[in-house]
Amino acid sequence: MVVLENIVKTYRRRRGDVKALSDINLQIEKGEFVVICGPSGSGKTTLLMTIAAMLRPTNGSVCVEQKDLYTMSIRDRAKFRAENIGFVFQMFHLVPYLNVAENVALAGGVAEGNRGTIEANELLKQLGLAQRVFHKPSELSAGEKQRTAVARALFNRPKIILADEPTGNLDPDNAASVLGYLSEFHHSGGTVILATHGTEAEQFADRIIHLHNGSIDNSG
Amino acid sequence: MTIFGLILKEIRHRKINFLLALLAVLIAVALFISFFTAGQASNRETTRLMRDMGFNLRIIPKKTDMSKFWMAGFSEHTMPEEYIDTFASQKGISYNHLVATLQAKILWQGVEVILTGLAPERCPPGREKPPMAFEIKQGTAYIGYELAQRLKLKKGNTIDILGKTLTVEKALSESGGVDDIRIQCHLRDAQDILSLEGRINEIKAIDCLCFALTDDPLAVLREELAAVLSEAKTIQMKPMATARAQTRQLVKNVFAVIMPIVVVACGAWIGVLAVMNVRDRQQEIGIMRALGYGSGRITLLFLGKALIVGLLGAAVGFFTGTALALNFGPGIFKVTAKAIKPEYVWLVWSLIVTPVFTAVSSFIPAMIAVAYDPAVTLREE
Repeated sequence: MVVLENIVKTYRRRRGDVKALSDINLQIEKGEFVVICGPSGSGKTTLLMTIAAMLRPTNGSVCVEQKDLYTMSIRDRAKFRAENIGFVFQMFHLVPYLNVAENVALAGGVAEGNRGTIEANELLKQLGLAQRVFHKPSELSAGEKQRTAVARALFNRPKIILADEPTGNLDPDNAASVLGYLSEFHHSGGTVILATHGTEAEQFADRIIHLHNGSIDNSG
Repeated sequence: MTIFGLILKEIRHRKINFLLALLAVLIAVALFISFFTAGQASNRETTRLMRDMGFNLRIIPKKTDMSKFWMAGFSEHTMPEEYIDTFASQKGISYNHLVATLQAKILWQGVEVILTGLAPERCPPGREKPPMAFEIKQGTAYIGYELAQRLKLKKGNTIDILGKTLTVEKALSESGGVDDIRIQCHLRDAQDILSLEGRINEIKAIDCLCFALTDDPLAVLREELAAVLSEAKTIQMKPMATARAQTRQLVKNVFAVIMPIVVVACGAWIGVLAVMNVRDRQQEIGIMRALGYGSGRITLLFLGKALIVGLLGAAVGFFTGTALALNFGPGIFKVTAKAIKPEYVWLVWSLIVTPVFTAVSSFIPAMIAVAYDPAVTLREE
């Protein structure tokens, strides 16, 4: 379960403070597929990063699986993130010098050895990338890159997947394919929180949250 | 995959960055090694050339009349031969190549000659050096050019000097000075000839006091020797000693100026490349942080690469520098050319010091990498 209480995030800039999130209160149940909608600059990514234990809010608390993330040490937070949260980004963020299998196994941390590679290959097979395991990201199409990123997000069997505009750079077929994999994860009991300014993910959502200027407009 | 595996894959991916960093280290190490290897030769060469200028420190009997000394070139008085043992055992003075001598003017075969008896060179304990002059064996003599010409003497001839028989070891070439009328023999033989057993009239030495931490090093030397050699006094041939010291200092100064410049330039070069590398890898670092990689592992990624650059650069740089010194050194240092050889102890030092140096140069960029906020880098498109 994800619980956000009174979340405020203000970026301090030379030309004045920018309020990215304003008094967000949100509860996401385990196994829920939540789509956060809103135009660019509405605070979607900031909200995801805050839930991901990567961006400390200016005020408020974030609890995931009954753990208050920002009272934990940096090391514990990183460990918690590695064990519980998977990420999918619009820009894929694959490591350019690692092949597809290595990129996926990277999520398991270093010194994973053969176990990592075998499990990564298995996962890639399920995502239709069996023929691409030894390819570098530069040799993949956008859809293949995003499927690799999905495989990486799934590698550690996380409880939650946070997806930031995962279909933003994909054509409709690949977008549907990626959303399908996220939906499968959701149906297997995982929680998905997906930020997008499009509407294609709405069909998979249990709940849609609209963000506007850092505040929730409507929920449920 | 291990951190080491990640580092190797990144190196293979960003070859140019790696090769440029390697080049920086290679140049620095190669320059250092070639300078040092050739510098050793330069030191030997300078020592040789300076040594050839002759002794610059003369210790003579205290009651010597200096006017007569300068006229004759030696003292008419003598002092105990054991003085050289006392002098040789003194510490904290930069003299070396001590030679006990006994000289006198004699009439031999109708010619006035200078008989010079020379003992084998002595060095202070722990500062042994190869002898500067040739050693004269007992029973042999070196004949000055003028004498050899006038008396038609050559190697192997037997001569009799005031009842002592000596074999001519060498007839010397023309010196253009008083050496042309000199007979040089072993100190024992000269003492026998002059009936002055156990006596000498001078200790010659090479001394390099000019850069000592005192305004008047000669006064210090005189004070110290007066305490142990009561019957002796000291004369320093100042221009010679100064020339020796200045020449040696010059080489050291060149080395001391050039090397820090090379090291700082190389360090800056590696640092800049490391910063560029960190900037290139912002998103990679961001995703690793997002995946739970801690600061330690991120730091290791950068410092590990720096260590590899340092180790490889040290090894290749050492052999490049040595090859440069071996190729070009003999052309510059002709006298001591054969003494230029690889200094393998510096390979060990290079392999220890260079990786530390590259790691230090990459430390700030590594800290920049650690400080990157993944939330910021991953948000950038």
